[in-house]
Amino acid sequence: MSAVEFALIAFVLACGVATAMLRDVLAAIIAFAAYSLGIAVIWILLRAPDVGLTEAAVGAGVTTVLFLLTIAKTVRPAGERTLERIDLPALGVAVVLVGILATTLGALPPVGGAETPVITSEVTQYYLDNAYTETEVKNAVTAVLAGYRGFDTLGEAVVVYAAGVGILVVLQREVFA
Amino acid sequence: MDVLATRYYYLVTFVVLGLGAYMMIANRNIVKKIIGMNVFQTGIFLFFIAAAYLDGANPPVLTAEPPYVSPLPHVLILTAIVVGVSLTAVALGLVVRIYAEYGTLDAELIREVRHDE
Repeated sequence: MSAVEFALIAFVLACGVATAMLRDVLAAIIAFAAYSLGIAVIWILLRAPDVGLTEAAVGAGVTTVLFLLTIAKTVRPAGERTLERIDLPALGVAVVLVGILATTLGALPPVGGAETPVITSEVTQYYLDNAYTETEVKNAVTAVLAGYRGFDTLGEAVVVYAAGVGILVVLQREVFA
Repeated sequence: MDVLATRYYYLVTFVVLGLGAYMMIANRNIVKKIIGMNVFQTGIFLFFIAAAYLDGANPPVLTAEPPYVSPLPHVLILTAIVVGVSLTAVALGLVVRIYAEYGTLDAELIREVRHDE
């Protein structure tokens, strides 16, 4: 683990814990935005610039705006304490969940190894070998997103549309104002 | 320790999943439950992106030199991020409506009010 990775992971986990523990919802939203930004930089380190850009724009940007709009329309409970009390039963459930998941750690392939199933998969190789000749797009992620998995992306657009209609129905409005 | 030294991203994934689950269970404020759901999602994203990683590789942009990391998990996660935002938007719409009906965002109070009705 390099120093940059260590610092980023520590930052992200600290922001995550702050998000969980801050009692003020506005403070939690700000901590979550910082968390998203940290995660976006981790995507860059893991050589996923497209995901990093989307996370920074959508995770840290649009999601934060949605949360802020919500607390503007509802309440921001005034608390006498800065931090939440730790909920022991919930902490127990979370620790058990992490413990059970951690038992699978030894069975997972090492991150970054040349022999991992994803890297050696023929699907990965096919996309990397043929993306440019078949779609004439140099960015393999774009080629797969809009070309090979175009129907998947169409389905995603349908989900976004359905979400828009769903919000209008829930709020009993006819237009976004 | 050797297992941990090469797989620490997966461990971070598990911790983030635990953190998200804790937020969804422990926080009484429903807005914070939704933030917890978003934290949980990013744990899943980290799992996929870490699985696609190859040491010393370039991003899957074909103008760079090979080797490349795998593009497919990146595409799946791009879709998942957008779907996640749609989910958050609908959930927050429901929160605004719940507040209009019950006048509170506290899950326990909402349960009590529903019980009394």
